[in-house]
Amino acid sequence: MTAAAPTVPDALETLRDRVAELSFGLAVPGRADAAREARAVVDQVDDYLLPRLRDLDAPLLAVVGGSTGAGKSTLVNSLLHADVTRAGVLRPTTRAPVLVCAPADRAAFAGDRVLPHLARTTGAPGGPDDGHGALRLVAHDALPAGLALLDAPDVDSVVTANRDLAAQLLAAADLWIFVTTAARYADAVPWDLLHTAVQRGTAVAVVLDRVPPEARDEVADDLAGMLRRAGLSAARLFVVAERPLDGGLLPAEEIAPLRAWLLGLAADQEQRDAVVRQTLAGALDSLSDRVTGLLAAEEQQHAAARTLQEAADAAYARARQEVDDAVAGGALLRGEVLARWQEFVGTGEWMRGLQASVGRLRDRIGSAMTGRRTSPEQVQASLGSSVADLLQAAADSAAERTATSWRSLPGGTALLAGRERDLEAASPDFPDAAVDEVRDWQGEVLELVRSEGAGKRARARWLSWGVNGAGAVVMVAVFASTGGLTGGEVAVAGGTTAVGQRLLEAVLGDAAVRSLAARARADLRERAGRLLDTERARFADLVTAAAPAPDGITRLRAAADGLATARRSR
Amino acid sequence: MSRREPALADRLGALREAVEVADGRLAVPEVGAARALLAKAGAREALGDATVVALAGATGSGKSTLFNALVGAEVSSPGVRRPTTGTTHAAVWGGDGADRLLDWLEVSRRHRVEAPDPALDGLVLLDLPDHDSVRLEHRLEVDRLVELVDVLIWVLDPQKYADAAVHDRYLAPLAGHAGVLLVVLNQVDRLDEPAGVACRDDLRRLLDGEGLAATPVLPVSARTGAGLPELRAVLERRVTARRAATDRLAADARGVAGALAAHCGTPSRAGRDPGRPGPELVEALAAAAGVPAVVSAVERSARRRGARSTGWPLLRWTARLRPDPLRRLHLGDEEARTSLPQPGAVAAAGLRTAVRHARDEVGADLPQAWRDELRRTTEVTEERLADRLDRAVAGADLGPDRTPVWQRATGVVQWLLALVGLAGALWLVALAVLGWLQLDGVLPVPEVSGLPLPTVLLGGGLLAGALLALVARPLVRAGARRRARRARRRLTDRVAEVARAEVAEPLAETRADHDRFCAAVQRAGR
Repeated sequence: MTAAAPTVPDALETLRDRVAELSFGLAVPGRADAAREARAVVDQVDDYLLPRLRDLDAPLLAVVGGSTGAGKSTLVNSLLHADVTRAGVLRPTTRAPVLVCAPADRAAFAGDRVLPHLARTTGAPGGPDDGHGALRLVAHDALPAGLALLDAPDVDSVVTANRDLAAQLLAAADLWIFVTTAARYADAVPWDLLHTAVQRGTAVAVVLDRVPPEARDEVADDLAGMLRRAGLSAARLFVVAERPLDGGLLPAEEIAPLRAWLLGLAADQEQRDAVVRQTLAGALDSLSDRVTGLLAAEEQQHAAARTLQEAADAAYARARQEVDDAVAGGALLRGEVLARWQEFVGTGEWMRGLQASVGRLRDRIGSAMTGRRTSPEQVQASLGSSVADLLQAAADSAAERTATSWRSLPGGTALLAGRERDLEAASPDFPDAAVDEVRDWQGEVLELVRSEGAGKRARARWLSWGVNGAGAVVMVAVFASTGGLTGGEVAVAGGTTAVGQRLLEAVLGDAAVRSLAARARADLRERAGRLLDTERARFADLVTAAAPAPDGITRLRAAADGLATARRSR
Repeated sequence: MSRREPALADRLGALREAVEVADGRLAVPEVGAARALLAKAGAREALGDATVVALAGATGSGKSTLFNALVGAEVSSPGVRRPTTGTTHAAVWGGDGADRLLDWLEVSRRHRVEAPDPALDGLVLLDLPDHDSVRLEHRLEVDRLVELVDVLIWVLDPQKYADAAVHDRYLAPLAGHAGVLLVVLNQVDRLDEPAGVACRDDLRRLLDGEGLAATPVLPVSARTGAGLPELRAVLERRVTARRAATDRLAADARGVAGALAAHCGTPSRAGRDPGRPGPELVEALAAAAGVPAVVSAVERSARRRGARSTGWPLLRWTARLRPDPLRRLHLGDEEARTSLPQPGAVAAAGLRTAVRHARDEVGADLPQAWRDELRRTTEVTEERLADRLDRAVAGADLGPDRTPVWQRATGVVQWLLALVGLAGALWLVALAVLGWLQLDGVLPVPEVSGLPLPTVLLGGGLLAGALLALVARPLVRAGARRRARRARRRLTDRVAEVARAEVAEPLAETRADHDRFCAAVQRAGR
């Protein structure tokens, strides 16, 4: 026992904090159950485990729970021989739970020690719409010190809040007094709770109420058999026959065995300790299983988040690849762009600097001449709009692909809910952003050419051409320089690009052209990647918002290990 | 009912039509539920118009006692152990054995009522197992039979009438079947008069809150017989009307139609022709099909041919050294592929974007399931589009191939001028040879305004030829442009045809299917 090892209450508190931090934001199957279980664990630690660990000698809390109409309130009243809780014919009856204790124990239950999140009310019973967040506290002499009774709401009532509260109160009990009737003892919902009690090792006593006197033995045997088969052979079984009520209370002789047992329990310190220890140990033992279940559920959330992210990443990586291929493979040259470039290279514009006579030149250059004058600016613009169109189509198809794959993944549909139309296409300001980015790229290429050609100003041809024309040539060279012009080209005179490139090479030097083309291509790839990343972020942000914290699992596991160590070292 | 309700056959027919339209298009579970209902309706209608009434309830509610009281004999053995009823029991009133019906319901314990009350002839009463005990198989049996029977009588008792299990799992989901449902509050003999009234009022309040205000609540006591005559009277009314099965199926059809209505958007606006492709789409398809390349090839080819016809004879043969741009594209045969290049990445991107816009326009106000269907349709289309476009371009009639008359005439004139020049040249050569042979003066050399005629002929011929070529050039170009415009019009028309057949029409078809689906669902759900 080292001084540095944490105590069990501290380790338990750490564990509770870690469980409270768990989040189940993605709508995978089983998430609602996991969230409920996490809340139940936190509640039990707050309501029962921590108070009990801190004060092992506190009075025993016996919770009287059961189904609608089982007779819990009548039972409690009869045990005390006083009208403490309201019994009635309308269901559900018990709205606000009633805690009856001895006057000496009042202080133990009035504060925040047990069930800290429920308010305590005293005095006259409230109306039928008593608040659910409150506990009615009644001090009565009939109860001996050391034992308190809590009349809980129905475990299967129509009102959901009642059901949740009943489960919470049972989790806060040292002893369950489970009330069922001859008509209901085989009901599924109460048996689920009894199975939970078996799993947690809680001390249970079962009261079989409203038994027709003639069928008493048969029914009692049947129920005893069911309890044995369920693993509750240690539970005490009390049978109360159905007799006319005596002033609203059960006849004394029916109640006698149960009352005797409870009073004996209250008086005998050892027996009380045994009960307390049994329930406490069982609850702590069961915590590890429940935490394992929660860890699995959290793992599921992580896995779902990862899958969704990967789907988005894959779709956008494919889009980036499409753009890369189109830029690198020279494919952008085909069609209108190259036709324009062809005209540009073949015009007298280019030749005007070399020769004077237009007619002879026309004949010599031959059919490459079309006679139309295209300024360099026109070529640039058509290149730019092509790239912007390509980016738009890539972004649209990537968004659609992501949305479609998310719809078939767990949790994806819920993330997309309400936003489908927006997320199925590129964002509305993407076209403008793409156009801006491409224009910036064109400016970048011009800068490159300008800085390269600055030292060669003496070359008259380059000057007369204009920087814009050289920039256009580099851009076309970018697209054509990877050898995309194979023999398959028919309507394209690839040679004109080669002419342009040769010219540039003559002006700027061979190696310079190659490096310019490579740099321009890399710059365009980077810009396209940036744009597509912004698009992808729309999806990634959705997942990050709903996904659990990345280190939640390790911290929870560490806390569970800490608790196990603390218990072992005690 | 103040509103006249459509007949069950109409409802089912409308539902059938909706399922047919949705088959293969909508991949949603509601369509499966509709199909199951149609199958059940078909089977049930073939089994006659007996009234199947089921007594359902929780453990210990007294179903079996009530069953025995109604039958008049101890058929179901009520016991004290729980759960009691394990298998479904059936009691049949009336001679014509409802055996086939009970086979369809898969009920094996059958009891024929002796000396049956003629008012209840045709009644088949079922005692179902309980639905909330620890035995799961009981609950599954109840779930199965609740779907199949015509009238449901829920037996509640003062202990369990507010159980969540009953209300959440069975009563609330049957909100649309209020007329098919009957609630019986059993064991009222355990409560005294004011308690009984309070209990009934509370139950009424719960049922009203769940949308079952039309469901009657009958207080009975199976043990003392109180309330039984009223219950029997209700059963008699239902049995003699012989409408129980129809009512149940109608209520089910309404429920299913309501579920399907979630996949209905607003119907199309009238007046818009959905099968006509927009100009943006046609332009994008034309760009992808290479129409600009073909048009420019047409123009260049026409210009080349014109130059050949009207150009200077000395030089125009050089045009033959280059290939005809139009012929290289191998157009003209719709069966064979053209030699047009594949659409580049940009054209393909533009095409995808245009198809996407067309799809978004059609599906703007449709629910998600139908938008998915539109997307699937266009995916299939996009694969075929390239081939269809190529064929459209290949098969286009680009105009007559003949050289216009005026060009031919100009060509003839050019030759004449060339001959004139040649004559002058030969004359000059002859003069030169004669001069060399010192035979000046043999041939006459007339003069025209101071210049010798042969020189004039030679110079004039060449000059006139060159001038004619220069003059003809802009005319040739104009003619080529005209031809190009005509070719573009024809090509665009063919591409628009492809756009209509491959893109606009499938989308319009899907939209029309959606409208039909919605109309059918509305008819079924009225």
